[in-house]
Amino acid sequence: MAGAHGIAAVAEPPISLRGRLSGGLLVLPGVVWLVVFFLLPLLIIFVVSFGSKDATGHVVLTDLGLRNYIEATKPEFLPAFGNSLRYSLLTTVLSLLIGYPIAYWISRHGGRHKILLLVLVMLPFWTSYLIRTYAWMIILRDNGVANSILMGLGLVSDPIPFLNTDFSVILGMTYGFLPFAILPLFVSIDRLDDNLVQAARDLYASGRGAFQHVILPLTMPGLVAAAVLTFIPAMGDYVTPDLLGGAQTSTIAKIVQVLFTSGRNWPYGSALGFMLMVITLAGTLLAIRALRQETFG
Amino acid sequence: MNDQRDPRQIDLERELVRYMAENRITRRMLLERIAKAGAFVALAPIIAACSGGAASASPSKAAAASAPPSTGPSVAPTATPEPTPVPTPESELFIYNWDGYIGETTQKDFEDKYGIRVKYDKFPDASTQITKIRSDGAGGGYDLTYPASTDIAPLARDGVIAALDHSLIPNLKNLGPTWVDPAYDPGNKNSVPNYWWTTGIAWDPAKVSEEITSWAALWNEKYKGKLGMLSDQQEVFAAGAFRLGLPPNTTSEADLDAILALLETQRPLLRRYTEDDIGDFTSGQLWMTQAWSGDWVQMTYEKENAKYVIPSEGAIRGNDTMVVLSGAQHPIAAHLWIDFNLDAKVSAANSNYIGYMGPNAAAQEFIDPAILSNPNLNPDSGVYADLVELVTLEGTDLDNLTKRWLELTA
Amino acid sequence: MRTGRNPWLTAFAVLIYAFLFAPIVILVIFSFNVSRRNFVWQGFTTDWYPKLFANRDLLDALWVTVQVAIIAVIVSTVIGSVLGLALARRRFRGAGSSELLILLPMVTPEIIMGISLLIFFSQLFGQNGSLGQIAIAHITFCISYVAVVVRARARNMDPHLEEAARDLGASSTGAFLHVTLPLIAPAVAAGAMLAFALSFDDLVVTAFNAGVGSTTLPIFIYSSIKFGVSPQINAISTIIVAVVAVALFLGWRLGGFRGDGASPIAVTEPAKP
Repeated sequence: MAGAHGIAAVAEPPISLRGRLSGGLLVLPGVVWLVVFFLLPLLIIFVVSFGSKDATGHVVLTDLGLRNYIEATKPEFLPAFGNSLRYSLLTTVLSLLIGYPIAYWISRHGGRHKILLLVLVMLPFWTSYLIRTYAWMIILRDNGVANSILMGLGLVSDPIPFLNTDFSVILGMTYGFLPFAILPLFVSIDRLDDNLVQAARDLYASGRGAFQHVILPLTMPGLVAAAVLTFIPAMGDYVTPDLLGGAQTSTIAKIVQVLFTSGRNWPYGSALGFMLMVITLAGTLLAIRALRQETFG
Repeated sequence: MNDQRDPRQIDLERELVRYMAENRITRRMLLERIAKAGAFVALAPIIAACSGGAASASPSKAAAASAPPSTGPSVAPTATPEPTPVPTPESELFIYNWDGYIGETTQKDFEDKYGIRVKYDKFPDASTQITKIRSDGAGGGYDLTYPASTDIAPLARDGVIAALDHSLIPNLKNLGPTWVDPAYDPGNKNSVPNYWWTTGIAWDPAKVSEEITSWAALWNEKYKGKLGMLSDQQEVFAAGAFRLGLPPNTTSEADLDAILALLETQRPLLRRYTEDDIGDFTSGQLWMTQAWSGDWVQMTYEKENAKYVIPSEGAIRGNDTMVVLSGAQHPIAAHLWIDFNLDAKVSAANSNYIGYMGPNAAAQEFIDPAILSNPNLNPDSGVYADLVELVTLEGTDLDNLTKRWLELTA
Repeated sequence: MRTGRNPWLTAFAVLIYAFLFAPIVILVIFSFNVSRRNFVWQGFTTDWYPKLFANRDLLDALWVTVQVAIIAVIVSTVIGSVLGLALARRRFRGAGSSELLILLPMVTPEIIMGISLLIFFSQLFGQNGSLGQIAIAHITFCISYVAVVVRARARNMDPHLEEAARDLGASSTGAFLHVTLPLIAPAVAAGAMLAFALSFDDLVVTAFNAGVGSTTLPIFIYSSIKFGVSPQINAISTIIVAVVAVALFLGWRLGGFRGDGASPIAVTEPAKP
């Protein structure tokens, strides 16, 4: 047990009965809320996913079966699954790669203005997500800001098609999820004891060694939280690929949306949605395990 | 309720006088209109220059000019010539509609005229609208909404919308004859037509040098990466069907497979299945795209030279409607709104603002002649007759189409 | 003692801040665009700002959004922090399933969560959407995010500290309030900020749970997009950014953000073995 939490772990004190009870009690409000307002409604949809619809489009629950799930595993959907995974993984990796240095910089170099700098990171995200995405469209489109600058400087003669591509989708998604990565990373990094970091540098006689063997493992919970907070919603995001994407950037989330809306097929949409959930969950748990293993051997 | 009179006892002269009074036409004007059967606008607040639009005036207009009380059998006149409502309307009205789908001042004018406060909620797409109004089976809390014509039959069958009380909508008489008894809702029992449009091709002549006349233009390799189609499965498959000479509403799986194969050859050339044809076109992302006629008018506000055509193989004609929801808390006010929007000038103001043609014959006077005279927006009767309406798809038919649409776009 | 300042890191940070604010700059600029459809820049005007204040529907939507966000943040931060704390520190029966329960709302596609709540409320309670219903929906997905962030921080906390405080005579509550809470406070604050951003901006779940008179700003905006994002909408966003920026500036000036730069943990934690 001692190694499970990394170098900073301390042996857990024996848990008294009172400790166990009060732990259970603390958890209660959250659990009750989630059970009532999340699990119960979800259960309804879960049941629907085994149902079917009649000729008039109404959900029918008399003949429950797995047909929707079987239908959802068609090979035709593989490109969309592939896109969803690809975008989400790249977005997560990029968010971590960008978020970690920023969080580090704010924590270690922010000084008195740490919180201010952190809130500044969040500031753009208190405007409307839609307008921000539209702003990216204005920047990235063929007659947009980016191309105007590039052509104005004579670097290119024809506009580069940034928009409606994988590039614009990943850029938009990374942009959208970056603060969700930066926050937990900051929280974790900020907690590091300066003396510890200094000692590590002395020990390893280099910044890189100190980082790899001390800082990174210590901030692992933050990394895991950041990865989770980015990857999961990215898998379910259909609005960004919809607005910034094109004919070749379809995602599973979009297909679920189509099934619920113009396809008017709630049972099928539910089944596909649940499959998406399972894949996302499995991917997340695997990634968490891999991250922990990677650090602690 | 108001008194109902036997239509056969309509006092013709009284109707005529009332019609003229409401529309502020002098006798001389009426006679001239009857004689000319063309657009004559003299005192209308919305001034439109007299144009040679007579040639393209649709047959419905001539009918309206020559017989003002061209009411359908279901309309009974109100007791007084004043448009004061009997019975008293409620004080509020909850409307659920697209954004920017009515004239700029329509809501305010209505509120000022009747003192009814309008709560105008908007939805981003038809699916959200339908899901919302079906959520409790009675309209989701709203009084009035604007569904597509293809939605009417299922909504009526499922009791989501209520039959209209035509006695509260005297302006129904303004509808052109083709709209009095539409196929999707005989006798306008449950709905009133709102706008109609065609779905064709819009293109930018600055980028596309050819003159476009056929759906095949959207398969042109030369413009790879600059082409668009709408993200509406029925519209896209209809376009494919037209190209193959198949009926656009076909439900045969073999036909659908053939259309799918054709559409799959197009997909690599497309930039987007767009939900925002106006935006994508105006911002230069698309040089040529499948588009709705009214949207093309919007495009011209930013890109003046944008062109639109109804392709030779055929095109879809569609319309939407106004309905009163079965759970409406303010049904009288809802009917009033419908009546208000069927008023000739209000209807024209709506059309002029948004670029879509309405079903309102009496309104044609006041519509911007640029819209009226454009054969692509207001096709003559020959072309009009060839246009096809989409049918409501449900059950297995819908599943078959959705399945292929997902295969195409996934 | 500060480690040496790395100029590359600082340069990178500046670049990233530029990246974060680039769309905001565009947003602000285009709030002065003459063109109502706002696709292409057509000229400068400040007319949209006064028009915005006359737009009753837009202001109503903003007010609904703010109310929902405040309620959602308060409730979800409290419930979520407690949940995260409990999961980080205690071993108790059901801990594993509770962990899974937190992850589930995050894994659920928004459309499914939205529709499930729609069915739940309309079929079981006959509700047609309302501010309260939206708030409940927001709280539900915010709890998870707050819990994950707080748990990450609390996991690294020395569990001996609270025990030590109790040994020294503090009550359970006292130990919690004076030892644990300050230690996890940054995470709680971070969670709250996250929850606010999530709630303020939510579109899909909210769309299915809004009703007459409870349209939120994101729904309003998304519904207007068919005809281009009106500069009025850019204007309201600019105002929001400006208000928050001014508040931040004042807070900073008044010394509100002053930490001494060192992590509070360093002061209270015993040296690591």
